Amino acid sequence: MMSTRKRSAKGLQYLWRKFLRLAYNFVVLFIPWEMRIKKIESHFGSGVASYFIFLRWLFGINIVLTIMTGAFVVLPELLAGAPFGSTVSKTIRPEDVKTAQDLDTIWSLGGYLQYSVLFYGYYGSDRKIGKAGYRLPLAYFLVGMAVFAYSFIILLKKMAKNSRMSLASASDENYTFCWRLFCAWDYLIGNPEAAESKAAAIVNSIREAILEEQEKKKSKNLAVTISLRIIANILVLLSLTGSIYIIYFVVDRSQKLENKKRELTLWEKNEVSVVVSLITMIAPSAFELVAALEMYHPRTTLRFQLARVLVLYLGNLYSLIIALLDKVNSMSVGSFIAANCRRHTGSLIVLYVRAKTSKGKVKQEMHIRKLHIKSCFTGEMLKLSIIDMIFTVASILLIDFFRGLCVRYLSDCWCWDLESKFPEYGEFKIAENVLHLVYNQGMIWMGAFFSPCLPAFNVLKLIGLMYLRSWAVLTCNVPHQQVFRASRSNNFYLAMLLFMLFLCMLPTIFAIARYKPSLSCGPFSGQEKIYDIVSETIRNDFPMWFSSAIAYISSPVVVLPALLLLFMLIYYLQSIARSLKFTNNQLRMKIQAVSTAQSTFTYKLVGFQETASLIHVTFNISQRKSNLPLSSVCSIGFTFYVVHGSASELCKTKPYTPVTFKKRTEDVHSEPLFRKSIRQVNPDAFGAGAPVFVGRRPHATRYFVVNENEPRKKSARATSRLQRQFRIEEPEDIVELYPRNVRRYVVQTPQRMYSPHPSEDEEDEEELERRYIKRSHRPRSLSDLRPAPRFYIGERADGHVLTSKDLAKMHYKSWDDGFELDLDRPPYAYKKVHLKNVEVDQHYLEPHVKPKTKHMLEQSLTESDSVSIESSSDPQNSSNDQYIQVIHSKEKYLKPGTKLTKKKSKNNIELSMSEPNELVCSNV
Amino acid sequence: MGNKQTIFTPEQLDAYQDNPFRQRIAEVFSERGDGNMTLDDFLDMFSVLSEMAPRDLKAYYAFKIYDFNNDDYICKSDLEKTVNKLTRNELTPEEVSLACEKVIYEADLDNDGKLSLEDFQHMIIRAPDFL
Repeated sequence: MMSTRKRSAKGLQYLWRKFLRLAYNFVVLFIPWEMRIKKIESHFGSGVASYFIFLRWLFGINIVLTIMTGAFVVLPELLAGAPFGSTVSKTIRPEDVKTAQDLDTIWSLGGYLQYSVLFYGYYGSDRKIGKAGYRLPLAYFLVGMAVFAYSFIILLKKMAKNSRMSLASASDENYTFCWRLFCAWDYLIGNPEAAESKAAAIVNSIREAILEEQEKKKSKNLAVTISLRIIANILVLLSLTGSIYIIYFVVDRSQKLENKKRELTLWEKNEVSVVVSLITMIAPSAFELVAALEMYHPRTTLRFQLARVLVLYLGNLYSLIIALLDKVNSMSVGSFIAANCRRHTGSLIVLYVRAKTSKGKVKQEMHIRKLHIKSCFTGEMLKLSIIDMIFTVASILLIDFFRGLCVRYLSDCWCWDLESKFPEYGEFKIAENVLHLVYNQGMIWMGAFFSPCLPAFNVLKLIGLMYLRSWAVLTCNVPHQQVFRASRSNNFYLAMLLFMLFLCMLPTIFAIARYKPSLSCGPFSGQEKIYDIVSETIRNDFPMWFSSAIAYISSPVVVLPALLLLFMLIYYLQSIARSLKFTNNQLRMKIQAVSTAQSTFTYKLVGFQETASLIHVTFNISQRKSNLPLSSVCSIGFTFYVVHGSASELCKTKPYTPVTFKKRTEDVHSEPLFRKSIRQVNPDAFGAGAPVFVGRRPHATRYFVVNENEPRKKSARATSRLQRQFRIEEPEDIVELYPRNVRRYVVQTPQRMYSPHPSEDEEDEEELERRYIKRSHRPRSLSDLRPAPRFYIGERADGHVLTSKDLAKMHYKSWDDGFELDLDRPPYAYKKVHLKNVEVDQHYLEPHVKPKTKHMLEQSLTESDSVSIESSSDPQNSSNDQYIQVIHSKEKYLKPGTKLTKKKSKNNIELSMSEPNELVCSNV
Repeated sequence: MGNKQTIFTPEQLDAYQDNPFRQRIAEVFSERGDGNMTLDDFLDMFSVLSEMAPRDLKAYYAFKIYDFNNDDYICKSDLEKTVNKLTRNELTPEEVSLACEKVIYEADLDNDGKLSLEDFQHMIIRAPDFL
């Protein structure tokens, strides 16, 4: 019955998994261009693919924007608004009707297009339209704001998600090459094209990994690199300021020329646009050359390049705008026109990109009918978008396609190899293309308020761009020489987009807040300010109490404290985020340390064993995870890590003569307390966390125990000493390890045969002696690094946490259980060991302790205290405690600086046995 | 399931011949190692390659597949063969040998310059892509 149920459950599970996979495959079908992007990714690497993914994401945003404007503004106006020809603003002027169908007019978006739903001017200013009373002006305003709000929110959300993902995915990168090699092939591939793509993808991913590796170990000549980078940045700065100055100068000059003479030559008319376009063309390539100086990782180079080009563009733009504003101001025109002209200069942001700006335009636009001045502004935007698209198509065709064709077919009859020398095939320029996308989107954002159809147009444009670009990439471009890995979670593009959004919002907001809307057209005609529509609605259409409430809320009494509160909140959240980040990093490092220790350390030790003697190493950290505070687990991780480093060092430096080490391992092996640990490893006593390897190895084996319970000293001193000690490879410092929880790496080895000592007693003696030596070094051991040495591993307390007495007691209980349930070893052995221990202790105590002076350091007291606290909680272990105590006195003996009398030490023992509470106090 | 194609033309079958390790897989699962399988071998192969097979078993057979010279270790020559098969000889010899060295460096835990089964399992079990 059971088995059938189980089987059916398993079958269900299987079906469910299958269904999930099918569903996933089905969903993937609906991700637009997924196949196309995958194909590009496999052939060109993730860097190029990141451009297309970015494009697709922008496409998604624009769809939402289109729906917003379309559903709430355009459709209502079309359905319920006054029909074409009903009002002045919706009628073509009679003198224009003649030319309305001309290509030239259509091209400049004049004629019928000018009086269409495309533009702000077409929308009526009736407060309510249609039978249902749709408040179009209000909707217009709200949608305009919502476009920005949505863009901001979606951008920030995406950025937050990306940063979360990058946190999650950056955890385990230890096996980059292995996974890329062994897990590379998709065994489900059954299509030659896919197989080819997959092979290309594998090549790319291996190249990427190799590149990363080379970047990692690139020999760093710091002085040269830094000086080169400084020079490069200076060069970039120089060229930026130069370009800004040139633009300003040219605009200034053209203005003077214009003032001086009436007839201008062709060059004088176009010099601004020519200069601007020349700068935008040349500067990026110059930056690229400069970037070669810097020797960054290609990804970093790309970012620098992008940032610099962006700064260049913006610098140019602002210098242009400022210069034009100066010019406009210098002209004594009516304020209204000047204001509108200023708004025209806003459109220059885009204009200048394609070098379409010239004073002639501004001048000419000033004469356009005042009615449609805003329509013209947005018309300019739309026109620019179209021109931009045409330019893109042309450049793709010219630069990529025809170049590719030429190189492909002319190279046979040319005097040099076209394919490998000069023109070559084009590479896909990620930086420029991404910037282009960002600009394009900025254009849309800037124009969207005054031209509700702009997002819809942009959607079409992006679709076209997607197909065109992907086709061009696959047909005309060659993969980059250096493929690098661009993470999916690439916040850099998004940050640029956010910046652009902010910049593009400014002119719109400025126009909304600053200028009076035109009197005879547009939804806001007749109002003082555009945003008055909101307050008007509130005043007229909401109940009285609501408007008064709004008035209260918008008064400074409320606004200022709210603002302050927001600032405080931001500060608070920021600081929390910073601390969380810090903690996160630390935890990740710790996890890595633990896992590295688990995997590498064991194996390294085993490898070492082969040359010296065989050691049985297992780990025993997390067995009592439930009792351990996180900090102690982590500290163990660190300790293991350090030990691992030293051990591998040992392996490498002296693989054949590790005499001291070997001897030590022998000693540790015969340490009686270790046997306890084996006993302790009883699943019944420790629950699920207990390892199961007991049965596998009948013999007690050698452990290295990391002693972590030493009183700490000055951490700086400790670290320095630690390093020194590891370097000289003193056997005492690699203390014993006492691990229990890694089962996988257990290597079973018969260790007895290597034992140089015939009897256990002797072994014990020597072990103790060694221990004393070790103890003398204790205060500078690993544990000193930690702020709170509360965790005990090894012979004394067996993983105690000294945070509270209860905890300690609990441990001892489990400990005893472990003893009782022990199967491997008869109980007398344990007792015998203890007796022996005590004997030995006394034996050592006699000769050494006598000549001591009466001085006892506080430090030693704390150490023994900490031991006695745990030990005294259980009388059964008192012998064990004595043993430890004696060690302590011994240590004091061996250390010339710290001295201790026999009497004192005995007192100490008694104290520890009888009055734990006192000792706790003294410890505190 | 019902409309799954069951009869293939030779062209279609050719289209499925893209696994770079197809020969190797056949060799590993055939009892004599010559790539000719008995029915049992064939069934073995399917059970190992099926979704239900435990990961340990898959790791074991994956190891055998990658161990081209059947010496129970994946050594550098095996790795080079693997890389070349996967990438269809697109990488330069330097890149191949660099990649192989990195693989050994990463996964070789006992420092013997080749990957034993334990090394391999230890590595592959943690791979997110390994099913």
